[in-house]
Amino acid sequence: MSALFIQRVAALALIAVAACDRSSKRPVASITDDFGDTIRIGATPSRIVSLNPATTEMLFAMGAGARLVGRTHWDLYPDSARLVPDLGTGIRPNVEAVLGSRPDLVVLYASADNRTAALQLRKAGVNTVSLKIDLIRDFERAARILGLVLRDSARARVVSDSVLRTLDRVRAATRDLPRPTVFWHIWDAPLITIGRGSYMNELIDIAGGRNVYGDVDVPSPPVSIEDVLRRDPHYIITGPEGATKIRADKRWAAAPAVRAGRVLVVDTAVVGRPAVRLGEAAVALARALHPDTIR
Amino acid sequence: MSHRGWHWIVGITLFVVLCIVAVGTGPIPIAPRDVVNALFGRGEQAVVAIIRELRLPRVVLASLIGAGLGMSGGALQGSLRNGLAEPYLLGVSGGAAVGAVVALALGLNADAAVSLAAFAGAGVAVVLALVVARAAGRGGRGDPRTLLMAGVVIGAFANAVIMIALANAPPNTIRGALWWMMGSAGDASWSSVAALAISISIGGGVLLVLARDIDVLALGEEPAAALGVDVDRSARTVFLVSALLASATVAAAGLVGFVGLIVPHIVRAGGIRRHRPLLAGAALVGASLVVAADLAARTLRPPAELPLGAVTAVLGVPFFLSQLRRAT
Amino acid sequence: MIRFRDVAVRYARASSRALDGVSFDVAVSGVTGVAGPNGSGKSTLVRALIRRQPLESGSIELAGDSIISLSQREIARRVAVAPQREEAAFPTTVREYASLGRYPRLGLWESAGKSDEVAVERALERAGVSDLADRRTDELSGGEWQRVRIARALAQEGRALVLDEPTTFLDLSHEMSLFELLHSLAAEGLAVLVVSHQLNLLARFARDVVILDRGKVAAHGSPDEVMSAPLLESVYGWPLVVSRDPATGSPALVPLRRPSPPPPSSPSES
Repeated sequence: MSALFIQRVAALALIAVAACDRSSKRPVASITDDFGDTIRIGATPSRIVSLNPATTEMLFAMGAGARLVGRTHWDLYPDSARLVPDLGTGIRPNVEAVLGSRPDLVVLYASADNRTAALQLRKAGVNTVSLKIDLIRDFERAARILGLVLRDSARARVVSDSVLRTLDRVRAATRDLPRPTVFWHIWDAPLITIGRGSYMNELIDIAGGRNVYGDVDVPSPPVSIEDVLRRDPHYIITGPEGATKIRADKRWAAAPAVRAGRVLVVDTAVVGRPAVRLGEAAVALARALHPDTIR
Repeated sequence: MSHRGWHWIVGITLFVVLCIVAVGTGPIPIAPRDVVNALFGRGEQAVVAIIRELRLPRVVLASLIGAGLGMSGGALQGSLRNGLAEPYLLGVSGGAAVGAVVALALGLNADAAVSLAAFAGAGVAVVLALVVARAAGRGGRGDPRTLLMAGVVIGAFANAVIMIALANAPPNTIRGALWWMMGSAGDASWSSVAALAISISIGGGVLLVLARDIDVLALGEEPAAALGVDVDRSARTVFLVSALLASATVAAAGLVGFVGLIVPHIVRAGGIRRHRPLLAGAALVGASLVVAADLAARTLRPPAELPLGAVTAVLGVPFFLSQLRRAT
Repeated sequence: MIRFRDVAVRYARASSRALDGVSFDVAVSGVTGVAGPNGSGKSTLVRALIRRQPLESGSIELAGDSIISLSQREIARRVAVAPQREEAAFPTTVREYASLGRYPRLGLWESAGKSDEVAVERALERAGVSDLADRRTDELSGGEWQRVRIARALAQEGRALVLDEPTTFLDLSHEMSLFELLHSLAAEGLAVLVVSHQLNLLARFARDVVILDRGKVAAHGSPDEVMSAPLLESVYGWPLVVSRDPATGSPALVPLRRPSPPPPSSPSES
């Protein structure tokens, strides 16, 4: 063989190797989720099942709504979310149904109930990220993770920053105002409220109030009416159904807040999850607690 | 008479003291004098509301539940000749639970709706149990074994229905259903108290009248017939009225177990055998027991409340141990 | 006092009658015995008397009135029946137990009064268990327990007394003393009906004996008339003889042993 021929083959080989090298250098997103599992995501996911209420909202906000092929039953915001197929409650999801949507990414809520589903989905070869979003900082982290996954960290930062900025503004506006005490009524039979481990507790704080059960570590502690009366909250926050019940119940009439008409009704759709509408929620809450504060 | 009289005096005193302590105790400390004033409507409005709308109806409801379950258990143990008979025997607990769970699963959260559904469910279950027993039995409609088996069958069916209803229910429904099934006097209001009071007085009254028949039924069906009791009619009436009492208590407060089982034994241990004083004693002891259990349920783990049924379930352990000792 | 007239009873889904054309009287001041093999209908007779088993045809009369026309209570006032089985689940004192016999005589709202207490004490005395009055029923021996049951029956103050197999599990002395008691009660004027498989004892104590065989009356009359070997052999299906007991003068049934077949001859002998 001639020296020229060898040179040309070598050159071609080098180019080929260089080309392969470049493709293998494409970044792989490596994430540790809230089950402690590490997920390596190669290609950008294009078919996402989001079985976590907060993340559905966030994905839409990040412009990835079109990639969603599955949501939970209660994900109704924004309106276009309704067009995404409903895949159940998000607790113990039907793995077969999820796989039937042929997703390349599944986002679950990281509760003990869902461990098996996460395992089964991963065994079937689908990247599964499980997130527990209880506090505001969890929301921040979730946004960052979603940004990594979608390879659009910039967009993710925009979404999370705008929320956090609103929260900061509200926090600043209420910082020097007197803090009324608040009881957040979640459920009857048993009577449940929110404690320190919940973002709703943080919202109260940001909105310039004080949760009478802020000393309890659990996110949703059960309590008794008489104990609530003992803590004597200035305001009672609840949803529309709860408000009707409380106002009609003679036992609640013992509470000064009820007698003075200080039962605040909030839109459960807005405050129901720690996601994109957190800012909105904080503003609404601040307005309710401090009617003279304009926002 | 003096020996018996002593028992009654102690029993009534104990009950009254328990009620006083129960009304005076709660997360909010209220001085005894304020408690008494509040009972008469005097004093701070908040305190009056707490005493009159929260604590008092609750104590009264607990007493009625205990009385109803005690009498029902005593009547069933005597007429079925079995010391392990209890008020929920004829499918009452299963049927009531089905009614309540279905109501909750359909989204009917109002207390009255759930109560009514529970009561209706219990009624259907009892009728079904009696029908099944009659179809299966060889003619002895009051045959305890057949009735017990019929109750078990209905109970098993009810469990299946409940599991299916809860299988895909949202977590809040499941929580509410579980809470209901564990029993609680916490939803006491004067209207639920009034409804229960009517059922207990009517049912209890009938049982006290039939108490002598139960004395004789306790000997067996043939000896009872030989002594002049219309066995079929008497036994059936006792079962139905006992089931009515149990259903009324379940409608008011969910499933409160072991009270109807244990209380008659306590009264019998005091030497009382005839069913007229036995049922009256069971009402008294039962009332005291449930008031005490409810007090424990709301003071043991503040700020949460334990379910009433959980507290009474704990009683089952020493009871069955003592029965075991006695049997061996 | 008690008249059975052509009594026929058929259990549900049974192909044959449990009782078929049974007729006899139980007169006052005497003991009438009813005997027969298992399944002959003896207990059915007692059950029919307390209306736990409806009659297919025929009638049972108590002091002239058909039991169909009487209330359960009224039947219990006229005749005291102690059925074969009793399942007292909760032990009580003997006196308490005996006073349950006053049930048919107490109205709905009445409580037991002085006259009832007196009647109970007298019943305990007649049954010979006065000294056991404060003992618990689960602490009694078999013989004591049967006497206590009779005391309860006597507390009913009926003119007739019916006992179904009262001496099962009783030993000799208790069995004899029970029959002596029945005899003396009959002498005081009661109409006593005893269902028992102890034919020899019935022969000694009863004035009349009824033999039941598969629901029919096989024989009815005085012990002498009824105790005939061929008849009893066919009823009981076992070879027997009837001898006259020299000590008591009553007929006594003696079952024979079946002759055993000769042993087969062994090969070594032939």
